[in-house]
Amino acid sequence: MTNIVHARSLQKSYGSFQALKNVDLDIPEGSICGLIGPNGAGKTTTLKALIGLCDVEGDLLVAGRDPRVDRHKLMEDVCFIADVGILPKWLKVSQVIDYVDGVHPKFHREKALQLLSTTSIPSNKRIKELSKGMVTQLHLALVMSIDVSLLVLDEPTLGLDIIYRKEFYDRLLNDFYDGNRTIIISTHQVEEIETLLSHLVFINAGTIVLNAAMTDLEDSFTEVIVSPELRSAADALHPIHERELLGKKSYTFEGVPRAELKQFGELFTPSVADLFVAKLKDANHG
Amino acid sequence: MDKFALNQFLTLLKREVLEHRNLFVLAPAFLALLLLFAAFWISKQFPRDQLASGVAYLAMLFDGLSPVDMAPVFMIGAIPFVFLLYTYAFVYLMNSLYQDRRDLSVLFWQSMPVSNLKTVLSKVVTIAAVAPFFYIAVLFGVYLIAMIWLTLLGIQFDIEIVGIGYMFLAAVVSLVFVYLSAIVTALWLFPSVGWLLLFSAFAKRTPFMWAAGVFILVGFLEDFLFGSQYLANWVESRANPNQYVIFSFGDLVDRLFNYDMLFGIFVGAILIAGAVLMRRFTD
Amino acid sequence: MKNIFLKNRYTLLLTVLAVYVLVLVIEGAITGREAKVVKFDNPFFDLNLNNFEEFMDNRD
Repeated sequence: MTNIVHARSLQKSYGSFQALKNVDLDIPEGSICGLIGPNGAGKTTTLKALIGLCDVEGDLLVAGRDPRVDRHKLMEDVCFIADVGILPKWLKVSQVIDYVDGVHPKFHREKALQLLSTTSIPSNKRIKELSKGMVTQLHLALVMSIDVSLLVLDEPTLGLDIIYRKEFYDRLLNDFYDGNRTIIISTHQVEEIETLLSHLVFINAGTIVLNAAMTDLEDSFTEVIVSPELRSAADALHPIHERELLGKKSYTFEGVPRAELKQFGELFTPSVADLFVAKLKDANHG
Repeated sequence: MDKFALNQFLTLLKREVLEHRNLFVLAPAFLALLLLFAAFWISKQFPRDQLASGVAYLAMLFDGLSPVDMAPVFMIGAIPFVFLLYTYAFVYLMNSLYQDRRDLSVLFWQSMPVSNLKTVLSKVVTIAAVAPFFYIAVLFGVYLIAMIWLTLLGIQFDIEIVGIGYMFLAAVVSLVFVYLSAIVTALWLFPSVGWLLLFSAFAKRTPFMWAAGVFILVGFLEDFLFGSQYLANWVESRANPNQYVIFSFGDLVDRLFNYDMLFGIFVGAILIAGAVLMRRFTD
Repeated sequence: MKNIFLKNRYTLLLTVLAVYVLVLVIEGAITGREAKVVKFDNPFFDLNLNNFEEFMDNRD
């Protein structure tokens, strides 16, 4: 499988703050990739760098182009929705559609109108008169009407209520994703997108701490609840994380064969949220 | 340029007009209404017979004269509009590559397949050719209303009104001169346009402070390093209206094709190229 | 080389301004354009503090 994103030693500083420290990143084509990290970890910077909205140092190829040089050509194949309502507030809904229709060669006006007709967004209103949820719906409708190979979503559902959030991801999967397109979603609400993902990237303090396919997680990571008498044996296998669980202790191992762990009890694959906590603590403790 | 690229550029111009409809349409329309009301009010102050002889005199004055020759007289009517246009042009250029970065809508604009070159050029064309067009259109409306009004007065006072037709033609031709002057002025002031765009794209806040501050700083530096004041002279030497106002079609060639004009466009292009490159720094 | 000019907004600004001023100065020198020294007609610049009253009178 080819990689739609190929990055080597990306660096970005804002003054003395290093937002990205030598980020290496490969995201396979056709995947739904979750970029997960705490606030200020460098998620937005990474995503903006991918589409040429942020000048970074290092080698970077997205869909075969360098976004810093070829942003406008790249954006024919890439769409972006940011965490903040970035649609210009002074435009009317119908004018935004006209604008995208005018500047984007791969935009399908009928599809956008059809998508909008399923929502309650009035086309004669200005963006500033719409609710936050409606703005996101509108942006998604625009983006889904463009034939792109990569969709970049930066905390797309931030500040939306649960109904909008669910609908957002349902639409994304049903109307946009067709197995060939790639979606990169950043979020810190891991649980919500866990089931969608086929690829997982953890980022913390400007460093990638995990970059793996979801199907590989099962092979690499194992969680097991260990009874007190076996704890020292478990410790000897260097768990990356341990936590108290209803009076018992749960250990998470990385790269330890399941055959070796069977002796401790029932084995699970940790949830993405648990794994995230485990990897972050592991990274922080070195 | 293929059809899509042309259409894309027209969409960018339309975007500018929509965003700045207050500056480009409402402001001159408001000024026009104000002037028309003032004209009506003044005319009401005169007794009927004086008004009649005034209209008759105007009609006689222009009867049979070439509209093209008489057009410069009516360019005076455009002066308040031109002042309004250039006040707004300054504000427009200063904000054009700054405002969208401040309200973050730049993330949307830049997520569209529009090159920085096209974005910046759309701002230049908007201020040089599109905004003046709206001002001219409003002035045309003013002249039309004025002509209808004078014609009605003429019929009412039973005056020979052919001269008013000549007057109107001269006024319309003057609009062509005003429009050409606006384009020539924008080209003549290309270095200033470029300077404002460059700092509009550069500043993280208060672009005007940067534009003015750096101008003074670089002026002093030039004086210190080279002992010359070309930068400062530039402003003074470009301030003379004789160099950009068009009074006849012959003027157009003179104003456009001379060394100073072409050199100004060249150095202005350096600054505009800087603004295009600067546009990559959106954060 | 290109990377230095385009490293950040400040290096780019410096580059553009340097090119701009150099072009102006070189062109001015070649064409013999008059590099005037600004003359101030403003009375404040003739201010002689020993003669302040005279200055106040002249200013009106």
